[in-house]
Amino acid sequence: MTRSRSPRSSRSRSKARSSARPWLGLLLKLSLVGLVVLAGFAVYLDAVVQEKFSGKRWTVPAKVYARPLELFVGQKLTREDFLAELAALGYRRESVSNGPGAVSVNGNTVELHSRGFQFYEGLEPAQRIRVRFSGSYVAGLSQANGAALAVARLEPMLIGGLYPAHHEDRVLIKLDQVPPYLVETLVAVEDREFWNHHGVSLKSIARAVWVNASAGQLRQGGSTLTQQLVKNFYLTGERSLQRKLTEAMMAVLLELHYDKQAILEAYLNEVFLGQDGQRAVHGFGLASQYFFSQPLSELKLHQVALLVGMVKGPTYYNPRRNPERALARRNLVIDLLVEQGVVTVEQAAQAKAQPLAITQRGSLADSSFPAFLDLVKRQLRQDYREEDLTEEGLRIFTSFDPILQVKAEAALSETFKRLGGRKGVEQVEAAMLVSNPETGEVQAMIGSRQPRFAGFNRVLDAVRPIGSLIKPAVYLTALERPSQYTLTSWLADQPFSVKGQDGQVWRPQNYDRQAHGNIFLYQGLANSYNLSTAKLGLELGVPSVLKTLERLGVSREWPAYPSMLLGAGSLSPMEVAGMYQTLANGGFNTPLRAIRSVLTAEGEPLGRYPFQIQQRFDPGAIYLTQAAMQRVMREGTGRSVYSRLPANLNLAGKTGTSNDSRDSWFAGFSQDLLAVVWLGRDDNGKTPLTGATGALQVWTGFMAKADPLPLDMPMPDNVVLAWIDPRTGQGSDPGCPGAVQMPYIRGSEPAPGNPCGIAAPAGAVMDWVKGWLE
Amino acid sequence: MNKLYVPLLAASLTLAGCATPQRGSVPVVDAGAPLSAGGSAVREPQPSSVQSLPQDSGVVVMVPQGGTPAPIQAGAAPLSAPGITPGPITADPTLAGSWGAAAGASAPSGIPSTAGGLAADEQLDGPVLALLTTAQQQQSGGDLNGASVSLERAQRIAPREPQVLYRLAEVRLAQGDPAQAEQLARRGLTYANGRPALQASLWELIAQARDKQGDPAGAAQARQRAQVSS
Repeated sequence: MTRSRSPRSSRSRSKARSSARPWLGLLLKLSLVGLVVLAGFAVYLDAVVQEKFSGKRWTVPAKVYARPLELFVGQKLTREDFLAELAALGYRRESVSNGPGAVSVNGNTVELHSRGFQFYEGLEPAQRIRVRFSGSYVAGLSQANGAALAVARLEPMLIGGLYPAHHEDRVLIKLDQVPPYLVETLVAVEDREFWNHHGVSLKSIARAVWVNASAGQLRQGGSTLTQQLVKNFYLTGERSLQRKLTEAMMAVLLELHYDKQAILEAYLNEVFLGQDGQRAVHGFGLASQYFFSQPLSELKLHQVALLVGMVKGPTYYNPRRNPERALARRNLVIDLLVEQGVVTVEQAAQAKAQPLAITQRGSLADSSFPAFLDLVKRQLRQDYREEDLTEEGLRIFTSFDPILQVKAEAALSETFKRLGGRKGVEQVEAAMLVSNPETGEVQAMIGSRQPRFAGFNRVLDAVRPIGSLIKPAVYLTALERPSQYTLTSWLADQPFSVKGQDGQVWRPQNYDRQAHGNIFLYQGLANSYNLSTAKLGLELGVPSVLKTLERLGVSREWPAYPSMLLGAGSLSPMEVAGMYQTLANGGFNTPLRAIRSVLTAEGEPLGRYPFQIQQRFDPGAIYLTQAAMQRVMREGTGRSVYSRLPANLNLAGKTGTSNDSRDSWFAGFSQDLLAVVWLGRDDNGKTPLTGATGALQVWTGFMAKADPLPLDMPMPDNVVLAWIDPRTGQGSDPGCPGAVQMPYIRGSEPAPGNPCGIAAPAGAVMDWVKGWLE
Repeated sequence: MNKLYVPLLAASLTLAGCATPQRGSVPVVDAGAPLSAGGSAVREPQPSSVQSLPQDSGVVVMVPQGGTPAPIQAGAAPLSAPGITPGPITADPTLAGSWGAAAGASAPSGIPSTAGGLAADEQLDGPVLALLTTAQQQQSGGDLNGASVSLERAQRIAPREPQVLYRLAEVRLAQGDPAQAEQLARRGLTYANGRPALQASLWELIAQARDKQGDPAGAAQARQRAQVSS
């Protein structure tokens, strides 16, 4: 089967035979012709071998990373969340953290040896860190030897890549990064003669033939590591004698030009070790991440033995699919190492006692967080060429927070479980986005009811009527005119009709089909009354409200129909988040960002997406709008949150329900978290959910898990607090029964009230008299 | 090294505050006075001089218009409307009004103009101080991008610390982005209540940013704010 010879040996044998008999002359001539042809072929192969091996050997897809977890005293982080992140990063639990990637836990103190990482602006060193937790906060941070440490960050979690059409993925490694025993094990199992042969090994072939013959079946191949590399690297999967000969020739040529180290390193990076959906896992570097979530250099003997054992049949020995088979193979490899004197019997026994220790699923699986990765890819494709993204090994640093993502996913699935009894819920789809209102960074994203299922990304692509989510824009427009409107201005909540520009007569209705009479302005928002809001919007002018929307960050060209005032316009959850971000961030607009920076494969800075803001509103008007949005949560349509969240947690938000409950929205924020939730059907059918009974429940569940900071916007200097009578809205003495404080733009507050001895008994009438007398 | 940074920053802030040119007798600007016409590079030059302050005191906001942001006078509509209640009602909420009032409010409290603000500034947390120090080193080494990244990292840790925003604004100015520098400084001002020295520095930075955007009138007004605050 493998009678391949190098050109040199063929020539010497031909010479030896030339002196035998004259009739062999013809054969000699034929041989010479063959030799020339062969030599020409060899020259050609030689060029092929050198060209590919000396150039860029592999294209490497861009890698996408989550945010690095920051550690500092006072940080909001529970011990459990911290340990979950460490587990996802593949840290091993040990009694004493010893070496990078190890962690030890002692009560509320966690000690770890971080791995170090090259970030945009510099290297984060690998170091031993001690973190002490108290409640849900980091209470102490130091180096393990007790030295002070102000701030540290872990290496970021890999969350995906940008793959080319052939879906080949790898993490390139250098020979000096491999763990102990890897090379020895590989050589022992795959090619014992590796250090001695010149590309092909007759000895190995002979042994393979003998083993296979005596066993009566194909047990062993005679291919050297070099031949295997050539086969994977240069040739197709075709099986023929001709290909086998070519392979052998190329193997010899490769050995002629390159040393064993270079060939071994190439082999370690090339070898196929598994299939992850569409993605082909190549090389030990990626395989280590894929199966153990650990860098290759940290692997122990039993892990090395497993990976090397898989080379023979990555699918057959897949430890996730066929754990028993994989375990048997691993232990066979370990036995072989004892046989060849690589490890002692004791080491082998210890290694064989270890479980497979495979992570549940590929933590860097492309499918883990499809919605967020989709956003990242869309943004990258605006700024980089496709080839650069799929071939150059770029490192993309994002703001993705896996801890928040997991909490958002849990809140969604728990809510669906609770809603399960309602008819029609099974067809309801979902989208959710979590961001940091102060930085505009997207932290978590769910594009589907099955968050791990890649497909239609509803956060970006489900453009649906926003219903009452628009109302804060109406009230903000009013509150920007303090000489005309305050939070306690009177609004009439009563039926009316108006002829719109489109010629239609528009007759808005409240959700409960009731009119609520004279109400305070803020109550119209808190209770999401349509009549009073529409009336107010018409007073302000629809174009003014649309202008406010544009300033909030919504760039849609909507017609100025009155129905727009109640949210007839459609937006994606992402656009809604952009709009509410401006409300949450004191009137400063920030384009939502998912990417922080981009590094080259070598760690050189390439691109940045810096923090950018633009003041779009007076902080005073925003302060008042936030106050009204807090009323939504305290007394209005969002009040159910406080049945599950602590009363001292200030939150602001707004429910949204489109006609016939086709869309269930909630958008709201704390000081440090903004979340938008949409529930609805893809076919735009009716759902049994309002904003309050559907999306708000997901939102509340998420906030309960995320434990946000209470909303606390610093009071702008043009805002004053005034005591008022809660029924009349007139100024009141702080001592009067029921008096409440309400914020006003300075100068628009009601005149201070008199002590209650005089005004209280007669109430409103006396106020009127008083006003008249003054 | 971290502790060294405190007096260093203190000194630089003090200097920044004191370096404001003394423009004769600067009156305490009325709450209704305009602060600026915004920070866009495409803004038309303002004909009005410092002496005759324009009457449009609306909040100047930026609205995206086909990629080139242009300032919109948000408050124009209500202001032009007749019948604004005379007397105590502020004609319209303006940035100038807000912070002018703040400076006025903090003046009687007896806090010495510079030291008062700096006392508060020294209460920086360990991680923020460490990152500001790193950023300082990167900036003095010419690595403005690195400094920017470190400061954004500090901002994520302490998003409401105006010193971080001040430093970020400084870096943006050095990077040749005065429009962002002004915006970041304005964001810093919203968190700088009760810190007059820092307010003065932020106003001074806004003045520089406006100078670079070709807005000497706006710069002069910002310098007046810097005076009032310090």
